[in-house]
Amino acid sequence: MSVNTGAKLFRKVDVDQFDEERFVEDAGDDSSAVGPNESEVNNLLAQNRNAEALKAVLNNPPVNTKDQAIKDRCASLVLRVLSAFKVSEMEGAINGLEQPAQDVLMKYLYRGFESPKEAVQSNLLAWHEKLFAVGGYGCIVRVLTDRKTV
Amino acid sequence: MAATLKPYLEAVRKTLHASMCLENFPSQVVERHNKPEVEVMSSKELLFTPVVISRNERERVKIEGSINSIRISIAIKQADEIEKILCHKFTNFMMQRAENFFILRRKPIEGYDISFLVTNFHLEQMLKHKLVDFVIHFMEEIDKEVSNLKLAVNTRARISAAEFLQCFN
Amino acid sequence: MATQYRFGVEPITCHAWNKEQTQLALSPNNDEVHIYGLSGGQWVKQHTLSEHTQRVTGIDWAPKSNRIVTCGVDRNAYVWTFNGTKWEPVLVILRINRAATCVKWSPEENKFAIGSGARLISVCYYESENNWWVSKHIKKPIRSTVTCLDWHPNNYLLACGSSDFKTRVYSAYVKEIESKPSANEWGSKLPFAAMLGEYSNGGGGWVHAVCFSSSGTKLAWVGHDSSISIVDAANGFNILTAKTSYLPFTSCLWVTENSLVVGGYDNLPLLFNCSQGAINFVNKLDIPKKSGGGSMSAMKRFQQMDTRGRDSEDSKVVTLHQNAIRQLTLHSGSKSSCAKFASGGNDGQILVWDIRTLESQIAGLTIS
Repeated sequence: MSVNTGAKLFRKVDVDQFDEERFVEDAGDDSSAVGPNESEVNNLLAQNRNAEALKAVLNNPPVNTKDQAIKDRCASLVLRVLSAFKVSEMEGAINGLEQPAQDVLMKYLYRGFESPKEAVQSNLLAWHEKLFAVGGYGCIVRVLTDRKTV
Repeated sequence: MAATLKPYLEAVRKTLHASMCLENFPSQVVERHNKPEVEVMSSKELLFTPVVISRNERERVKIEGSINSIRISIAIKQADEIEKILCHKFTNFMMQRAENFFILRRKPIEGYDISFLVTNFHLEQMLKHKLVDFVIHFMEEIDKEVSNLKLAVNTRARISAAEFLQCFN
Repeated sequence: MATQYRFGVEPITCHAWNKEQTQLALSPNNDEVHIYGLSGGQWVKQHTLSEHTQRVTGIDWAPKSNRIVTCGVDRNAYVWTFNGTKWEPVLVILRINRAATCVKWSPEENKFAIGSGARLISVCYYESENNWWVSKHIKKPIRSTVTCLDWHPNNYLLACGSSDFKTRVYSAYVKEIESKPSANEWGSKLPFAAMLGEYSNGGGGWVHAVCFSSSGTKLAWVGHDSSISIVDAANGFNILTAKTSYLPFTSCLWVTENSLVVGGYDNLPLLFNCSQGAINFVNKLDIPKKSGGGSMSAMKRFQQMDTRGRDSEDSKVVTLHQNAIRQLTLHSGSKSSCAKFASGGNDGQILVWDIRTLESQIAGLTIS
């Protein structure tokens, strides 16, 4: 006879993890993509070449690394570049970006929304509006579907 | 302050539009079942990356998507104790009647005040843009509603206090 | 622009045409399949096929042998033959334990393939000594639900898309019923279930539809990341990807060797062209009529403000389809020169689009 126990821990056992055909994420821990060249971006910002700084900062995003510290550093760098723009300059800068870079920028915008800072939030919302006008829904859909986060 | 409301709602509207692309998807884990994947979370390949859109620390929307359902959670602005109580009462009132609101979830997810669950079945019966409009409208109205209630409470409190203190006059 | 047919308000899960396009099989999002016949420009319901116990997910009508195969969430599939008065079902032994999601007859109509949530494909063929349809499984290395299928015109190769973001090409050569295939551009060794290629566009979008071009050298697929991808076997398996600015596409169809029509959550079909190593957007095929927004009278405007609390109908569906397109099917012609194609939607409508009329109606549009 089985004994009636009060144990319910067994209910929490995830049996599906032993399924051989279970979906596994592509490992892809690629340390070569370590993010943009920080000093270059800082130089461009210092010289007030904002559009070029934006291009540089979206280059080589750290999507494949699992190191959260690198991602955090890049995100704050991007935020700094984004807040250097005036609303009137945004459109031109976005039009100068290739489609993959636009997708990356959209990812950074949502990243920025996650940890709100009063001062930059309206700036980010303005970026979102301008970027949507160029990239359309596809740009947002790719932020949602892509497994590679920034 | 009000200047960021419109872009904020617009960003939410666009993200909702992009994430409300759902299809009927039978469960690949349990036989002959069909469950909102965003709730069961059993197959991670069927889930979207969750996104948050925020206006400031207190007001934000979290949108979690999946192949057949999305969950929208709203954090409502609560500046002081009264607003907190009013907001809690208000959302509680609605969530107890969730079956009348179709897309309302009975419990909010952690860290948020109210959650909606939209499945592919809702999108088959209702027009997508109307659903999006509804959520946006809700977000617009709830702030107004709470501040109106607060005004009413304050007025009432003032009158009763005045009445009460009259006898000591 | 297109001929509109309405079949109630329920979504049309799937539909299929007979050879002469005089009959139409569709499922109104439930466990039944309805067969409609065309009489006097109207579709009249002729038969109801009710053998499934849960929602039907796929229908395919074999043009030459006039047989229908259906599959459903109840894990079953039936092959239907017409005996002169009614459609008779034969059960297929699928051996799957999750929902069947899609079904396609092979071009020779001697076998068909069924994708399922059990992360496998059943390739089914007829076993005459037992008088039933049996199946063989293709399993490896599919890691999620098989969402779509398409046969290569040579009757041996099978493409499938899955919700693990990948598109794969398999050999579906069944040695019991057919002669050995010769080598082709996709591979030379073709035992059953051999995977000849696995393709991904690098993103994380579930594959919603796959389609071989009429020559069979190009394979197109659309994913949930609003992308269109084409792999070209004649060109070193080079993968082209276009990440578009639209909502995701659910269906794709080659209308010529280089032109691809896609449709999805934007409620309209779009035309893309694949040439010179790139996928280029050509045109939307449903151009909404300009609404007379400017000419609204003051009286009407105030009336609307009064009744609806806003001054204009700012968010109205202007496309012919009122909800997402689920499926694009070839109506008449072939994949190399399509004359008409049809789109079935979540709004209960099936629209038939005439390529020649579209060309004449949309300025500057030539489909080649």
